[in-house]
Amino acid sequence: MLPATAVFHFPWEIKSGAVQEGEAVRTFGRWVFYVLFLLYFLLVCYQPEESKATLSAQHASKEHNVVIHTLFVEPFNPIIGAQYVVLGEIENAEGVGVMVRARVLNCVDGVNVALLQKAINEQRSFFRERECKQHDAAQPADAT
Amino acid sequence: MQTAAMDPADEPSSMLWGLDPMFSAFARLYVKDILQMTESIQVPGIYFYNSHPVYKVDVLGTVVYKREREDFFCYGVDDGTGVINCMCWKSALLKEDEGLGKSSEHLAVPQGGFNPVAELKKLRQAQQSRCHLEIGELLRVRGLLKTSRQEREIMASTFYKVNDPVMAVQIAWMMEIPQLYRECYDKTFQLQPSATGNSTISTLSKATNILKDFFQQRSVTRFRPYDVQDLLQPLISSQTQTASKDQEPVAGPSTCQQLRQLLKEVLVILQDEGIVYRKVKSQDEVYHVTAQDKNLLLAVKDVIREDSKREKYAEKGCHILHILSAVRQKYSLNVSKAALELVLKSLECNSDIVSTSDNYYIAF
Repeated sequence: MLPATAVFHFPWEIKSGAVQEGEAVRTFGRWVFYVLFLLYFLLVCYQPEESKATLSAQHASKEHNVVIHTLFVEPFNPIIGAQYVVLGEIENAEGVGVMVRARVLNCVDGVNVALLQKAINEQRSFFRERECKQHDAAQPADAT
Repeated sequence: MQTAAMDPADEPSSMLWGLDPMFSAFARLYVKDILQMTESIQVPGIYFYNSHPVYKVDVLGTVVYKREREDFFCYGVDDGTGVINCMCWKSALLKEDEGLGKSSEHLAVPQGGFNPVAELKKLRQAQQSRCHLEIGELLRVRGLLKTSRQEREIMASTFYKVNDPVMAVQIAWMMEIPQLYRECYDKTFQLQPSATGNSTISTLSKATNILKDFFQQRSVTRFRPYDVQDLLQPLISSQTQTASKDQEPVAGPSTCQQLRQLLKEVLVILQDEGIVYRKVKSQDEVYHVTAQDKNLLLAVKDVIREDSKREKYAEKGCHILHILSAVRQKYSLNVSKAALELVLKSLECNSDIVSTSDNYYIAF
């Protein structure tokens, strides 16, 4: 079986609730949010004994930290201060808070962050535009 | 995967699919759209995106699922909008390599020399590493679409791992696709632009084509406007017929006037294109057909041959504007540049003259 789609999300969208509005599936008494590609976090700390890494990103003069569960991607070469992209599921485990269970953790140090952000926004605005158009096209049909 | 069934009547006729440029291209669609496209009822394996027939796609995405069989790999590719299965057959080269690995070990390698066997082995290894992907790596895949067991998948014809350490390829791809959608995939394909387009423009182009065909078929060398006027008559009458259905003929231009007007416009176009020219501008309107005018052909050839002998032009050849002014002096003042270009082209086709560089010609 294929895993669910991982949609691009910016790090600061994880805690703000934008992702939680997505497809939430309740399994094993724990909230699991299928989705996501997390972006260009800087690796700030890694605790191999607990399989936990902390990534951080700056946005709107605030620092956003996200805890990554790295059990599935070990062993990997942690470079403190490098940029990473994460693909995985968000879990809202009790006691820990929001945590991302990584399926893919790629080091993309040197990525053009501004351009990547632009590309993601471009893609989002394209889909938004198209939905608007489809909505507009559907509406007159409903009215008649 | 649920897709709304398309009414067979809504499907474009399969006769016309090939006319849509998207049909013969590997469409760079989002996986989300690939999964949602409706399959054709007429021909399975053809899908419709916005009425465009699509049967092969081009996808770039992260491998999120992997299964290996003896003959093929099965990769789940995620492009951020959806996940799709890709069936990637192992090539014969790849499989051979597994057996070859042991036997080639004892081959002696000449010191410092070029060893084709070793090079081939390297090449195979490179290919193998490109085809062997792990979860999290980036895959580019092109192939045919197929639906098996209600799951849509790509039967890869080409696939390879993309090395993208700083996401440059992915970013470029993400920027390009919305443009592709806006500029072609989301535009409806119009098969008959002339049917909905401006009818006067199409009448004009029809009339131009009628005259061009007539000149060619009958090898017309020269004509006067009233000689060819009747040829355009059907165009005018069909136009007035359609118009008279809608409205009463008000005091508009008469058919005869319309015809003359049309002919005048057509002659302007033909002159601009250089198809015809007037040798002498006088009361008597005589038009010469450039392609059939042997005298003009000879005159141009003579000019080039004469001037190619002169030291000034011997090496580089004569420039088109030089030829034009000479022809105008010796033959006719009214030869247009477009007409001369046509003559030069036909002379060059017959190897009477040779073009030395852009716009320069020489004769031997």
